[in-house]
Amino acid sequence: MKKYIVKRIFYMIFVFLIVSVLMYLLYNLIPSDPARAELEGIKTQLRPEEYEQRYRNLRDRMGLDDPILLRYARWMGFAPEKESGELNGMLQGYFGYSNFFKKDVSDVLPVRMKNTVLINIFVTFLALAITIPLGIVCAVRKNGKFDNSIQFLTIIGYSIPIYIISLVFIWLFAVTLRWFPVSGMETPGANYEGMRAFLDRVYYLTLPVLILTFASLGGMTRYVRTAMIDALGMDYIRTARAKGLREKVVIYSHAWRNALLPVITVIIGWFITIFSGSVIVETTFTLNGMGQVYYLALRNSDYELALATQMFYCAVSLIGQLIMDLSYGLVDPRVRVDK
Amino acid sequence: MEKKNKNKSSLFSRLFGNRKKEMSFLEEEQVQSPGRIVLRNFLHNPLGMTGLIVFLVIFAFVMIAPRYIKLDLSYQDNTQVNVPPTMSLMELPKELQGHVADIAPGTTFSVGVSDTGKVYTWGYTRITDTIDLSQIPEEVQQARIVKTATGYDHVVALDENGGIYVWGNERLGQARLPQEIKSAMRKGENLKIKQIEAGYQFSAAVTEDGQLFLWGNSNMADVNLRREYEGQVEKVALTTYSYIALLKDGSVVYGGLQKNAFSDVPQEVASGIVDISSTGSTVAAIDKEGKITVWGNVSYGEDEIPAMDSKPVKIYGGLNHYTALLENGDVVTWGSDVHNVSSIPASVHQEKITQIFSGFYQNYALTESGEIETWGLKGYLLGTDDLGRDLLNRIANGGRVTMTVGAIAVVISLAIGIILGGIAGYFGGWIDMFVMRVAEVVGGLPFLPFAMILSAIIGTRISVEQRMYLIMVVLGVLSWPATCRLIRAQILSQREQEFVVAAKAMGVKEGAIVFRHILPNVLSMILVTATLDFATCMLTESTLSYLGFGITPPTPTWGNMLTSANNSVVIQQFWWRWVFPAAIFGICTICINLVGDALRSAFDPKSAER
Repeated sequence: MKKYIVKRIFYMIFVFLIVSVLMYLLYNLIPSDPARAELEGIKTQLRPEEYEQRYRNLRDRMGLDDPILLRYARWMGFAPEKESGELNGMLQGYFGYSNFFKKDVSDVLPVRMKNTVLINIFVTFLALAITIPLGIVCAVRKNGKFDNSIQFLTIIGYSIPIYIISLVFIWLFAVTLRWFPVSGMETPGANYEGMRAFLDRVYYLTLPVLILTFASLGGMTRYVRTAMIDALGMDYIRTARAKGLREKVVIYSHAWRNALLPVITVIIGWFITIFSGSVIVETTFTLNGMGQVYYLALRNSDYELALATQMFYCAVSLIGQLIMDLSYGLVDPRVRVDK
Repeated sequence: MEKKNKNKSSLFSRLFGNRKKEMSFLEEEQVQSPGRIVLRNFLHNPLGMTGLIVFLVIFAFVMIAPRYIKLDLSYQDNTQVNVPPTMSLMELPKELQGHVADIAPGTTFSVGVSDTGKVYTWGYTRITDTIDLSQIPEEVQQARIVKTATGYDHVVALDENGGIYVWGNERLGQARLPQEIKSAMRKGENLKIKQIEAGYQFSAAVTEDGQLFLWGNSNMADVNLRREYEGQVEKVALTTYSYIALLKDGSVVYGGLQKNAFSDVPQEVASGIVDISSTGSTVAAIDKEGKITVWGNVSYGEDEIPAMDSKPVKIYGGLNHYTALLENGDVVTWGSDVHNVSSIPASVHQEKITQIFSGFYQNYALTESGEIETWGLKGYLLGTDDLGRDLLNRIANGGRVTMTVGAIAVVISLAIGIILGGIAGYFGGWIDMFVMRVAEVVGGLPFLPFAMILSAIIGTRISVEQRMYLIMVVLGVLSWPATCRLIRAQILSQREQEFVVAAKAMGVKEGAIVFRHILPNVLSMILVTATLDFATCMLTESTLSYLGFGITPPTPTWGNMLTSANNSVVIQQFWWRWVFPAAIFGICTICINLVGDALRSAFDPKSAER
């Protein structure tokens, strides 16, 4: 097992490095010139030859003319910075400078990540609280009227893109019923404290949370249902029933516990994605989250920020994959992942 | 006959009926080929069949309709912005029929005056949230109106005492009447105004003794009259921002001070002119012999005057077309044929027409018997968007783009997935290892962000069409790992089966074993994956386009049509702009997924268990 984990982590790092090289090369295809951008402010105060001199110095100091692999190594923190001679890259915790926010990337992201995690925790719990019982009921009444209608609804749920769900929810709850605001995170200008602040937050975040929950119902319900149907088809269920156990005990104690095994791995994988945030819902509601920051970075050609966010997304999905794979073995000792 | 009926009912009951039919033992245990079982399972699934039929209908619509409703990427029309779904823009109110004294067709609305002096409006009369042209002011309702004229967003009406009323958008001086008219109205004098006209935010009035009054937004329009023409004006014709005047001596002049396309008046119209008219950007004059001269910014063939079998006596202008009334009561039109403004119905040619009211995209012809014949813009079945484009047109063409992109992306993704998955699964060893690592890298690229990045980097430098291909390729190239993994797993299990061993023993080449012996056995899996992937690719494309990183306007897709709908004003007031694209797209993806689901359970041997 230990050997398998080490091997997987090694693979993960390998994949991450390849992805990072690819992404770095890709972003370097964008025609941009940070040196010129930095001199733009004082351009008018300089004579042309002086400007040209400074520009060349700056390019040299920033190492813009070095080979791309060297620049990549600097960015990752494998090679020392040209100017300071120190290692200062991703590995050392320096993610670059955001032109759009005029701040270091490491100052931009944390507050946004906090918001995204806050929203997604609610979404995850709400979705699980709905889908697990629903999936079990569907499996127990397999092919019944209730099951069939839920199956149909789940198909609708995962067929409709989330922005259409957003439009319908906004139309219904924000525009027609006026229960919730159309967008934003808190009442502008009102610096509430304590309980008021919390209620204000709830007021603003309910609609996005509802939409994200609704969008994730379809897939999860189906997954729970399938796992439960498989479990209910096992021989030990027949034995349990033959022993004369009550149906409730059979379902919740014998079947559900075994159906939980495949479900829990998905849930673990799902928990990892709470850091990612939904680009669409966050931009639609102008929520200060990871998804919106990524969208803003791309929209405003703030590529250092976009690159850092991108690598973060990538790391999250790889770690999620790893934990999911490992959890198979953790929750079910019979499964030997390292085989 | 009887047989036919039986078939019919069996198809119906197959689709929707109760299929728990009593069967004899032999029937029930009859051996059937797997293909027939699958087909029967699928045909017996009501949801799947409904999904298939609805999808085929939508598919046929988006593939056939664009042949008839052509997409013009550069088309936009600021007079037709945000018109709700309606087909009754030209339907006269009942009270007006048979009693028409004057009709002024507007952009999406029309104003009519009855012979009793009452004013009626019809069509889409809302200009903004607060301005609605159907709210006719009290004083107008009380006055006895004889003439009316419509501009882009305001209405002018003239009563029998020479009083002039303006309503609608008044914020730019549309209602700021000239001093003479105002004081005459105050004193109760009649200025004997015989003609009123309205253009873009400005209006004009001509009196019997040759006075011309112009008022309105002078920043946009040339509302001046040269002194030498004062007191000589017989008639005016207003273009969007300018006007020409017919003088009492039969010559046509440009009365304003600006230099523009109309100010170079051609020689032909220096004398003997009997009528003038104008479209949005051209003017026309007709002389005693019936010769028609057109000048200005001709862009829709307004100067291509057709041959006429009789002498034209009167000429009327819409926004981009002209209509001429002939001496024998017939009607001829030419110019643009957008919204069928130049397609005269046959019934008009049979009648003797006495008068025509033409404006923007509508034409009303008054017959001898007092009936009204209409042709032109009836309305929009699904409304228009914020640039005045017909939504039906954009939904049909957008659907074609969305489906094409989805289909090609699926084909690319399947091709890569099947080939690599087949190779990895069958050969195993280091090839398997290598392919799976590549799949892991590609799968490790977070999908949406990566596609966004690609189109952000490359997308700006290429044309609209290339961009479409780029999106297809990006979608296809990024979504193959799932298919690859699936195929590989399937092949791993099939590889160990006896028939493969047998094929090997027979000396069949390895490539043939993979693609001819094993692949057909995983075909069911591929079919299901392809169906579900098709929906996913369409969803991803539309999501990208919705965010502005996929296919960008003016090329329509079902995704980017919803981009502009993302604010509460549109959601509430212009509901047709998001409800229709969202509905058809939602229904389409639901149907595809239903079909995929039905296919999966049809292929699944477990579902046949009783």
